[in-house]
Amino acid sequence: MRRPTEILRQMALWFLPAMLAFVSASGFGALLVSGFGYSPLLVFSTLWEGAFGDAYRFSETLLKTVPLVFTGLAVALSFRTGIWNIGAEGQFLAGALIVTVFGVKAANLFAPIFFLLTTIDIFLSGALLGILAGWLREKHGVSEVISTIMLNMIVLQFLGYAVHGPLQEAARTYPQSDRLAEVARLSQLWPGTRLHSGVIIAVLLAIVLWLVLFRLPFGFRLRVIGQNPHAARFAGINVSRHIIAAFALSGGLAAIGGAIEVAGVTGRLYENISPGYGFTGIAVAMLGRLHPLGLLPAAFLFGALESGARALQRNLGLSSVLAEVIQGMTILFVVLFETRWFRELLNKRLNVK
Amino acid sequence: MKLFSKVLFAFFVLLFISSCAKEKTATNQFRVALLSPGPVSDAGWNAAAYEGLQRIEKELHAQISQIETKTPSEFEEAFRDYARQGYQLVFGHGFEFQDAAAAVAPNFPKTVFITTSGNTVRPNVAPMVFELEHATYLAGALAALLSQSGKLGMVGGIEIPPVTSTFDAFEAGAQSVKPDIKVNRSFIGNWEDAGAAKQAALALIDQGCDFLIHNADAAAAGVFQAAAERNVLVFGTNKNQNDVDPQHILASCVSNIPAAFVEMAQLVRDGKFEGKIYRLGMPDGVVSFEINPQLQSQIPPAVMTRLEEIRRQIIAGTIKVPSKV
Repeated sequence: MRRPTEILRQMALWFLPAMLAFVSASGFGALLVSGFGYSPLLVFSTLWEGAFGDAYRFSETLLKTVPLVFTGLAVALSFRTGIWNIGAEGQFLAGALIVTVFGVKAANLFAPIFFLLTTIDIFLSGALLGILAGWLREKHGVSEVISTIMLNMIVLQFLGYAVHGPLQEAARTYPQSDRLAEVARLSQLWPGTRLHSGVIIAVLLAIVLWLVLFRLPFGFRLRVIGQNPHAARFAGINVSRHIIAAFALSGGLAAIGGAIEVAGVTGRLYENISPGYGFTGIAVAMLGRLHPLGLLPAAFLFGALESGARALQRNLGLSSVLAEVIQGMTILFVVLFETRWFRELLNKRLNVK
Repeated sequence: MKLFSKVLFAFFVLLFISSCAKEKTATNQFRVALLSPGPVSDAGWNAAAYEGLQRIEKELHAQISQIETKTPSEFEEAFRDYARQGYQLVFGHGFEFQDAAAAVAPNFPKTVFITTSGNTVRPNVAPMVFELEHATYLAGALAALLSQSGKLGMVGGIEIPPVTSTFDAFEAGAQSVKPDIKVNRSFIGNWEDAGAAKQAALALIDQGCDFLIHNADAAAAGVFQAAAERNVLVFGTNKNQNDVDPQHILASCVSNIPAAFVEMAQLVRDGKFEGKIYRLGMPDGVVSFEINPQLQSQIPPAVMTRLEEIRRQIIAGTIKVPSKV
């Protein structure tokens, strides 16, 4: 039995690099805004107000957290397995597309069948995209970085075709789908806000993924492959099959995120449904140190930044790009603080043997 | 533990400082906000809206604010935030803002939400629709009066009501001065493919059309190329395109977006706003028909007089220009 202080120290050690990275990035952000002639104090207090100022702002922060949790989980799972899935964006869009197809065209099905079919197809849409990239990598040696980025483009173009063509609203006026039927919408959690039950699904899936990765033999094998595929193969693990499975799970997770964004927030499919959640998901996963539960606070932090950045532009006329700069800087600092040099420095300071 | 507690301490100090900051209290000044779907530095759609907002600041002495909303999920949030801060008027610059405006509006009856184009109407939500039809009607009349072959051509992007409506008006304008005129239309199915637009334009010219009009956005470049190659005259649409090819673009059908913003803001400020579709056209000074000065000499004075007469009648409302949107 470890002493509570020891556990606290371990946790601090685990979170410290991420926290330091964020604080340093904020410091750079402060320098940047002073350079533009704004008071850093005013900027940060506005950021804070925008993200947590009252119940409504807080609900918006949570709302922005949800899609990032899904893409973050997708990226964390694949990176843990040693695959660079940059395709969460496309898989996210695929899920959004499928939920719209079912929500608009098949909503008169018997409800349980509708849910089952829709959920399976959403998952499959992302999983198949992942499997395609996985198959290309395992059978033909195509780098998954390239293939998944390219697949993003293909899905985006296909989505554009869908909302201009077969999925376009019945009135045929604008490039958007019809509204999803009520049955396909997620229930609202908090009257007066837009918070939907997707936030619960996000947390549950994070816990499930944690169980899979850290408590099941399957997850252990994935992590072994991520650490050293040669050792994994030597230990008798079918590496190819596991990698393709990881691609499928990762794609499926991102697709569910896209479906939840449509079913919970917008209620319609548009071309610009995602402002790059798939790519921000990479940053979230890195900041969360590729841990399904660790990335929950990371996603929340990025959600808060996004939410606060709106207030910056609204109240101060400061471009919301600043929030993106802070996000980017955070990633750079995470990478810096993950280096062995910093780890050793930290261990010395915290007296960890 | 030292480093950790230092960081923690700094964090809480920051927290404390930030919680001391108070929000500004609302003033009685007229406040207007704009939700733009893209950067206002785009020298096009969004820049025009921002220019309108700046004119509102200058001409109506309003306090203004603008936010770039990239995805539909941000629309509702931004509308709500401005309404909560007591803004009297919030513009959503595009059809895609309709749902969000309708969702937020019932909770904020003191705020007016205006979308650029669309058809969603609530007591405090209204779309403003530009009646480019007024200008294309004039273009049709001018083309019919000058045409030698008695055939006119139209090249459109995607066959959607806002586009077909401008073509219907062009046709109606042509037939109003020459009932037996033939008008052919062609759609390329997108807004970008200048090559397809050029082929469509060449095909129309081969059919004998000696005047072309487009409503094809960026693909219109192909229409202008075809016109230059075969030396026929064309009309520009949406913005003043006369300078694109001064030798072949006879005139442009222009919607003046900034003027529309000022017009609507004035209505809201003076308490004259109603929940209805606002059609802004030539009588409001929002839509105009700009003849290319370099080609003015090609229009005989008699035709010019006739054109002026039609323009007057459109503004006076004695000519009903057909419009589907």
